[in-house]
Amino acid sequence: MKPIQRISTLMLLSLSAAPAQTPASRIAGAANTFLSTLDQKQRQTVLFAFDDEAQRARWSNFPIAMVRRGGLSMGELSDAQRSAALALVSSALSRRGFEKVRQIMEADETLKHNERNNPMFGASLYYISILGTPSAKAPWMLQFGGHHLALNITIAGERGVLTPTLTGAQPALYIIDGKTVRPLGQESDKAIALLHALDDSQKKQAILSYRLADLVLGPGQDGMTIQPEGLKASAMNERQRAMLLDLISEWAGIVHESAADARMAELKADIGETWFAWSGPVTVTPGSNITAYYRIQGPHLVIEYAPQRLGGDPALHVHTMYRDPTNDYGRKPAAK
Amino acid sequence: MKPAPAAIAILIFACAPAAAHRLDEYLQGTLIAVEKDLVRAQIDLTPGVAVYPALLRDMDTDSDGVISVAEQRAYAVRVLRDLSLTIDGHRLTPRLLSVHFPGIEELRDGGGEIRIEFSADLPSGGPARKLIFENRHHSRIAAYQVNCLVPRDPDIRVAAQNRNYSQSHYELEYVQAGVQTRPLLSVWWPGDPAWLSALALLLLARFAWLWRHGRPVHYK
Repeated sequence: MKPIQRISTLMLLSLSAAPAQTPASRIAGAANTFLSTLDQKQRQTVLFAFDDEAQRARWSNFPIAMVRRGGLSMGELSDAQRSAALALVSSALSRRGFEKVRQIMEADETLKHNERNNPMFGASLYYISILGTPSAKAPWMLQFGGHHLALNITIAGERGVLTPTLTGAQPALYIIDGKTVRPLGQESDKAIALLHALDDSQKKQAILSYRLADLVLGPGQDGMTIQPEGLKASAMNERQRAMLLDLISEWAGIVHESAADARMAELKADIGETWFAWSGPVTVTPGSNITAYYRIQGPHLVIEYAPQRLGGDPALHVHTMYRDPTNDYGRKPAAK
Repeated sequence: MKPAPAAIAILIFACAPAAAHRLDEYLQGTLIAVEKDLVRAQIDLTPGVAVYPALLRDMDTDSDGVISVAEQRAYAVRVLRDLSLTIDGHRLTPRLLSVHFPGIEELRDGGGEIRIEFSADLPSGGPARKLIFENRHHSRIAAYQVNCLVPRDPDIRVAAQNRNYSQSHYELEYVQAGVQTRPLLSVWWPGDPAWLSALALLLLARFAWLWRHGRPVHYK
């Protein structure tokens, strides 16, 4: 079976798990199943203390050859171990969240192929690690990431916290089996639709007058909260606010459904205090991605979408960041 | 995992060979935090792979292939010299707090980030203040970014942020509660205190001239 097809199959198997389980017990069960496939040395490599700050911060947009990750890579696991690892990741995510992850890895596999089999890229170079002891009640963390991906998922009973999380894609548009794939296409399409739904006065507030070359609060900027800018959603109409929430759900909806529902309720309550800012071109080539930067910021939220120039078409290389400045790494539930 | 078969994966556009790396820009991101009597900032510098060789010559000044601690500090001081920081028109002197350099391999690969932290004391001022930050470090290749952190002091509220397109020039206007307005004299003489000294000297000279010429001075 092809690697990416195998991931899809695992996703479906995971989603058909026993319905009586709570999400937290299902994820803890998947974690323990994965750990049971490992030998002693592998378990030591994949497990970290829950409060290991260095491991928490060991993530990046860069390939692993440039920024080392902790844990075990998919490439050093047997087929059975890899299946269990991906089933664990899938159990912590929604269906569309895992599909996004799968496409980001697929893009990196495509990049590897197009870079003459460059060993710096590929689906085997994504790492999994567990911080703390998997439990249905006590908090613990699952990390999964590599090039253009950093999932930091804190499971604390029925609460699931997905921040900070980095998603990205290169190429951010590719064709596979005759089908065009844009792993972060919805993040692009929904954002430009929202911008075009604003009137001239709102656009004037939302569009920043300066260039943004990259993420402001990317890797290494934990604990920072910048002053919000742009258009406040309290100055939007109901339809525009609904569009903004729908755009936010592209990140908030990556985690499994019950955690995503709770997170969206929190962000909906904050919507009047949430800002939308845009920098760059206000048009897009049909079927492609925007080449503009945008930021959504609220009391419990920072989202950044930053196309990367890096010598090529910015529509084909995108970095995004998703944070909760009040609860990154699930610090709030962990403190209880 | 095995690589995806060539038949199923077709990249629409060719990627640059150094696809994952920052290339011809020198990213310089600054975060500024204001307090009542202090401004703190961190600047993160990420050289692109194409500009790294030229920048390395500026860092590894003895060309021994190692950026020593002394060279790191000297480079940080040069960066600070290329910055300008003023508050209400008064020039501030940035004080270097720390320097962190990544490994030379990370810098070479375009993934290394240099972090410089600095601060400057703020002279007392009125309730409305204006801080201006300018960055001229390697301006031909720079991609500047600058932002203000949400103040931790609840008495301080950001009123406005203004930048030019490249973000080399940044203005931060903020208001602070619990601060009295300036004394009247300082409102009349908002500039350098040297003006007051010059005025005092002029008055002294005038009194001396009057005394020497025997003209009475009347105070009412």
